[in-house]
Amino acid sequence: MLFNSISFLLFLPVVFVIYWWANKRSLQLQNLLLLVASYFFYACWDWRFLFLLLFSTALDYFTGIKMEEAKNETNKKRWFWLSIIVNIGFLGIFKYYNFFADSFAEALSGIGIHTNFWTLKVILPVGISFYTFHGLSYVIDIYKGRIKAEKNIITYSLFVGYFPLLVAGPIERATHLLPQIKKKREFNYALAIDGLHQIIWGLFKKVVIADSCALYANNIFDNYQSMNSLSLVLGALYFSFQIYGDFSGYSDIAIGTSKLFGIDLLRNFNYPYFSRDIAEFWRRWHISLTTWFRDYLYIPIGGSKGGLKMKVRNTFIIFLVSGFWHGANWTFIVWGALNALYFLPLLINQNNRNNLDSVAKGKLLPTVKEFMSMLFTFSLTAFAWIFFRAKTVSEACSYIKKMFEFNFQGKSQFLDFERYTVEPLLLLLVFIIFEWNSREKEHPVSGKFVVFKAIAVIIAILIFGTYSNPTNFIYFQF
Amino acid sequence: MNKFIIYVVSSLLVVVIAMTVMDIVYTKIYENSYPRTKFQYLRSFKDKKIDFIFIGSSRVENGIVPSIIFDKTNKKVVNFGFQAAKLNDIYTILQLIKNYNIHYEKIFIQVDYIYNIVDGHSNIFQYEMVPFIRENEITKAYSNRFSLNPIADYYIPFYRYCSNDLKIGFREVFANIINKNTKIIQQRGFGALQGNSIKLGGLLPDKIVNRNTVFDSIHSFCKNNNMNVVYYCAPFCLENKNKEFIVKLKSKIPELVDFSNAIIENKLFVNCNHLNEAGAKRFTEIFTDSLLLK
Repeated sequence: MLFNSISFLLFLPVVFVIYWWANKRSLQLQNLLLLVASYFFYACWDWRFLFLLLFSTALDYFTGIKMEEAKNETNKKRWFWLSIIVNIGFLGIFKYYNFFADSFAEALSGIGIHTNFWTLKVILPVGISFYTFHGLSYVIDIYKGRIKAEKNIITYSLFVGYFPLLVAGPIERATHLLPQIKKKREFNYALAIDGLHQIIWGLFKKVVIADSCALYANNIFDNYQSMNSLSLVLGALYFSFQIYGDFSGYSDIAIGTSKLFGIDLLRNFNYPYFSRDIAEFWRRWHISLTTWFRDYLYIPIGGSKGGLKMKVRNTFIIFLVSGFWHGANWTFIVWGALNALYFLPLLINQNNRNNLDSVAKGKLLPTVKEFMSMLFTFSLTAFAWIFFRAKTVSEACSYIKKMFEFNFQGKSQFLDFERYTVEPLLLLLVFIIFEWNSREKEHPVSGKFVVFKAIAVIIAILIFGTYSNPTNFIYFQF
Repeated sequence: MNKFIIYVVSSLLVVVIAMTVMDIVYTKIYENSYPRTKFQYLRSFKDKKIDFIFIGSSRVENGIVPSIIFDKTNKKVVNFGFQAAKLNDIYTILQLIKNYNIHYEKIFIQVDYIYNIVDGHSNIFQYEMVPFIRENEITKAYSNRFSLNPIADYYIPFYRYCSNDLKIGFREVFANIINKNTKIIQQRGFGALQGNSIKLGGLLPDKIVNRNTVFDSIHSFCKNNNMNVVYYCAPFCLENKNKEFIVKLKSKIPELVDFSNAIIENKLFVNCNHLNEAGAKRFTEIFTDSLLLK
């Protein structure tokens, strides 16, 4: 069930009405209803993998309790590692088995040994990376003594399987979400209205920006060999906005939906393309994942403590793991490594925390320096997205090589749909202006004249939306 | 909570009103602007007179050059060939010609392997018709039969424009507003193909269906309405396999005028079924000389 589907349009109001009706009765009923709705939501994709989710939930629930009950450190550690190994094991089997098998076979064939590893036709369970990380953070927090184990199985199951964030995040923390689940929610009109507006904005980003850009980006990337240099530059630009509109749109819908149920989720995007350097970009892009890696990987391995070598090593580890988290393909690893390289000069010169505030705060326009910094950061990011989008590393390299041939002959932006360059670029320009004016708010459909803004966005969705060529949310595959 | 429900209901009302208004606006634009699509072009001949009408698939659209016939005969000609058109589309076009009260001297219908297809239709004809599905019973019936969501298309305002957004959405509406011309309409329905392929290939069916009920409907419709109709078969390249299919077709339609071997040079084809621009000009001359100037 996709957030931008008719079935979700029916599912959401039904759950909403029953939920607030149940609210009058008890917290348990409220949570149970959300849990049943969440499992139904997940089963609509593939009911078989519901058992995997149930198993993962049960594992972390019991190991959490066992860790807390452990009489000594050894026992506690045993339960902790059991959870970590099983969780990562599942992720490894379902997401990375074929990648390792293929890569190992390729490596051996390089030295003349030809093997025939089993390549399994494994279907990637949707959301496995997200709910596994929920469970991992919970178990690690208990182990570190930051939180107490949750005794109520419904409460804990809802923390892992809460439908707005189940399939593509934001990646929640037990410290943030569990207290909200354990407290009876009262209907909050302002929060619900804000949630509704955020859903509308998320839909706009998905249906208008991401899906429109996808038409062009897909055509250019799929036919890059016959495209000229300008088209390839535009392909990278369109994909940059496709992935932003797609994922941040999804996050907005998830967060907005959750607000309807009185639950506040972690913010996932904060206008990342208005970043002045790559460090700021990573503080604004997929925030819940970045902070997860910071808290559960970067800091435990030493963080920014120690010498320069340690800092560089830790930076590379976090970016490479982050890239690998996205998918079992070398393209994601190269994408991660590239971002680490971008980050290094800032780290070495200790400039990585220069831009903590919003750009041009309180001003209408940025300074020339700020504008150039944003443009430069965006260009670096768009360049790295080529690896993210390409099917293989060699395809990405070939794309980049053609891009820098500065060949303006041959097939350009005139694609199958007879659409021209200027139209999507105009659309993107309007979108950027709208976001720029709202960069100090959580989302643009808020503040003054909110009703008119909401109506304008709804009409824009109807007029400019891409409906006949809907695409799945990109992050579903992760 | 009540306040929230009122807000949601009001928002839904705004959406419904916006969709209704936009549906009306889009439809009015398509109805009243200078034709850009073939279907709009067909509609633009309401209550008008044309001498010769050509109907069929892309083998008509890309193969008949109205200006050549006009130059040779001084007769007004339109090419109503639609890409991928099947007999269902041809039947609908004939019904629309009657409904729109288009006067004519003669209609030429191109029939070939489409005789074997009973259920098919042209996607292009279908989406070009979408703005006009509420115009008459013929378009409504066609939409009911071939649309994926005929009820939603017909009854939910603006749904039809959303579900075909890439073809008849905002961009096409805007092009209609600014009267952006299409070459095909300027050429009275003829669309030229360029280039020629070295390996033309081509394969006709080895068997012919015993009977095509849609063709029977066309035949009786034309007879009942005293339509002056000529069936013909456009050229195929010589390399085409199973050419005896045309002989079988002639046994089903004895009055069929066979031009399947009229063009023998491969350089006049872009593929075995479609002539290029030079081939279309040559064929139109042959057609005119043999059928219209006699």
